[in-house]
Amino acid sequence: MTDGGHGLFPNGAGAWEGGLEGRRLGQIIGGSLSQGVQARLDSTGNVSVEDVKVGSFVTIQGERQRFFGVVTDVSLASSDNRLSHMPPEAGDALVARAISGTVAYGTVNILPHLTMPVAAGGPPEPPVAAKTIPAHFSPTHAASQQDVNLVFGQEDERHFWIGNPLDMDTRVCLDLDELVKRSIGVFGKSGTGKTFLTRLLLLGILQGGQASTLIFDMHSEYGWSGQDSDRNVSVKGLKQLFPASVSTFTLDEERDRWRGTSADEVVRIGYGEVEPEDIELLRETLNLSEVAASAAYNLQQRFGQQRWLERFLSMEGTEDIAGLANDVGVNAQALGALHNRLLRFKRFDFMQANTRYDTAARIVEHLERGKHIVLEFGRHGRDLNAYILLSNLLSRRIHNRYVELKEMAEGGKVKDPQPVVIVIEEAHKFLNPAVASQTIFGTIARELRKYNVTLMVIDQRPSAIDSEVMSQLGTRLTCLLDNDRDTDAVLAGTAGARQLRGVLSRLEAKQQALIFGHAVPMPVVVHTREYGSQDSYTQFSRGYAPPTGVASESPKERLEREIDELF
Amino acid sequence: MTVGQPGRQSTAARVGEVIAADSTSFTAQCYELYGSPPLGSFIRAGHPGIYGVVNNVRTEPLDPSRPVLARGRDHETEDEVLLENPQLSRLLTSRFDAVTVGAAGSSGFAPWLPPLPPRVHAFVYTCGDDEYTMFAADPGFLARLARPECPASDDVIRSCLMGMVDGRPNGTDVALRAGRALAAQLAGDVARINAILSGIEK
Repeated sequence: MTDGGHGLFPNGAGAWEGGLEGRRLGQIIGGSLSQGVQARLDSTGNVSVEDVKVGSFVTIQGERQRFFGVVTDVSLASSDNRLSHMPPEAGDALVARAISGTVAYGTVNILPHLTMPVAAGGPPEPPVAAKTIPAHFSPTHAASQQDVNLVFGQEDERHFWIGNPLDMDTRVCLDLDELVKRSIGVFGKSGTGKTFLTRLLLLGILQGGQASTLIFDMHSEYGWSGQDSDRNVSVKGLKQLFPASVSTFTLDEERDRWRGTSADEVVRIGYGEVEPEDIELLRETLNLSEVAASAAYNLQQRFGQQRWLERFLSMEGTEDIAGLANDVGVNAQALGALHNRLLRFKRFDFMQANTRYDTAARIVEHLERGKHIVLEFGRHGRDLNAYILLSNLLSRRIHNRYVELKEMAEGGKVKDPQPVVIVIEEAHKFLNPAVASQTIFGTIARELRKYNVTLMVIDQRPSAIDSEVMSQLGTRLTCLLDNDRDTDAVLAGTAGARQLRGVLSRLEAKQQALIFGHAVPMPVVVHTREYGSQDSYTQFSRGYAPPTGVASESPKERLEREIDELF
Repeated sequence: MTVGQPGRQSTAARVGEVIAADSTSFTAQCYELYGSPPLGSFIRAGHPGIYGVVNNVRTEPLDPSRPVLARGRDHETEDEVLLENPQLSRLLTSRFDAVTVGAAGSSGFAPWLPPLPPRVHAFVYTCGDDEYTMFAADPGFLARLARPECPASDDVIRSCLMGMVDGRPNGTDVALRAGRALAAQLAGDVARINAILSGIEK
């Protein structure tokens, strides 16, 4: 798909230069549904092959329906094979010009993605996936702004403006209902704008109210403020934009104090909440052998769920450990290693032997009220162990609670729980093939929306994520990826993957993303919407309609927001 | 300009009469020996007229049963041969064939075969500047001369095109339009396109 890029695509995807929008390009001369159709550029000389870019959007007026597609390739063809052996003399412009467009001509390959409703009065119908191709000699035109608008929708409560086709003023909108129905993947190399893209998605979900979100915010970028490392300025987080709808939880009170803000809740985790499954997940980061990690199950059996970790960590000296190893029937060295590694839990000030504060319950409480939660890790974000341990532990508790709620709702006792999207970064640590089957995230990804819990996975190495999990992602948004394995992993199972592959590797390094899946009618490259200027904040705030069940802004919050917007 | 020299005339001149015609071509006899319009030039037969492009010129004995004999063995120059044998100019005649390319219609030049060929004895005229301007306005008909069934050779097509282009202010544009029409007709034969078009636009 070319060029437009070009729309679908980089370097001008979707856009037509030189006022070609809506202009005739040529006619269909062949092709197939699987490979795309081929159009011959008109020989009138009005359209040069150089005007057509990969990724540009085109419309094809077939005999019975109108098609919307994207240019996937541009090529030079000739009706006489001898042309390459006897090209026109260098000095003879007439022969060259006479031959151009007649004997030697340009062709474009077009992948027809959609069929457009035929305007015949009544409300406009949405475009549907193309299941056939236009007939021979169907005229092909460069798509106009109206065509693009018709396909990618208008911004409304259900549709969130995520960005623009490259070099075009029209807006590409995500269907939020479809977006949150299934898990979402956000991919891209480091520094390509994953975080900004994720912020936009979260804002969309927040504005639309289709789901609550729980964000495990490893680098504290989503809550109060984030960092724009390119411009070296701070940008507002969700809490600043929507104080009434967002609750922040923190693991690092000190950071909050230093920053002059205060989180709504401080996370405290009891040793009793850690399960052997969590230790299994930390095997790689703690550098534990399989035997050592599985020893946690023996300890749990010996001391019980509530006490095993506390008792184990309170032991000192190799003799105690050896005795315990003997007692529970595991290798002493393995148990020693486990003890040694788990001792670092003692340095986590959010972990306490006894706490009556139930973080998971508090989170569920907020979620049930339709609130969006940002769990900021503060300085603990630098420790992958803390991130993996906490997000797995809390997600498991929340998932269990949702399973209960959902089952109760099915029994008619309570209303359906508000859908929740759990956002995790460094997703391959949770979802790699070795552990995906054991972690709660693997379960959530596979269960789809059965229990109203879905995932938003953010990662720079999608190839490291279990393919079974990848296949369950409904909508994928990917910034630049240049590793072949990562590109393959992201595009696996997608129609037209071959064409999209070229597009993906040609994305620009900043503010460009390829979006495909359930939330958009067809794959499209967007220049992502601006985030960080005062204008953008105003737009976000204005577009927001409080979801049902959310307490409206208090006068104080409204005052704060208005002051922020003003200054 | 003298009839018989290459190029086109600024005004039309009568040069002969149709002596045979069919739907796609006609033959004319010149009034003057060696008075044929050049290859590739446009001619009109009758009035309002059927247009053709000269594709063959020949000079031959009037009586096919009396072949021409060589008579110059004892003469120094060719002129002497004619002076010594004044009857020769009465025994020889020049004839030319033309491919029909269209007819004068109610709104100018109609570039397709007329329903009927020109009548025998229809007067034949060379075409003037006005008519050349008319042909040059839509030179696509030239492509028909390149069809396999048409007797016009590539040199005739080339000469015809040069006649339409030479000295014309929009000659480049005319050459290009005619060239594109030819290229479309000869899409599978780049060598012929090259042969016809190369060097036209100098």
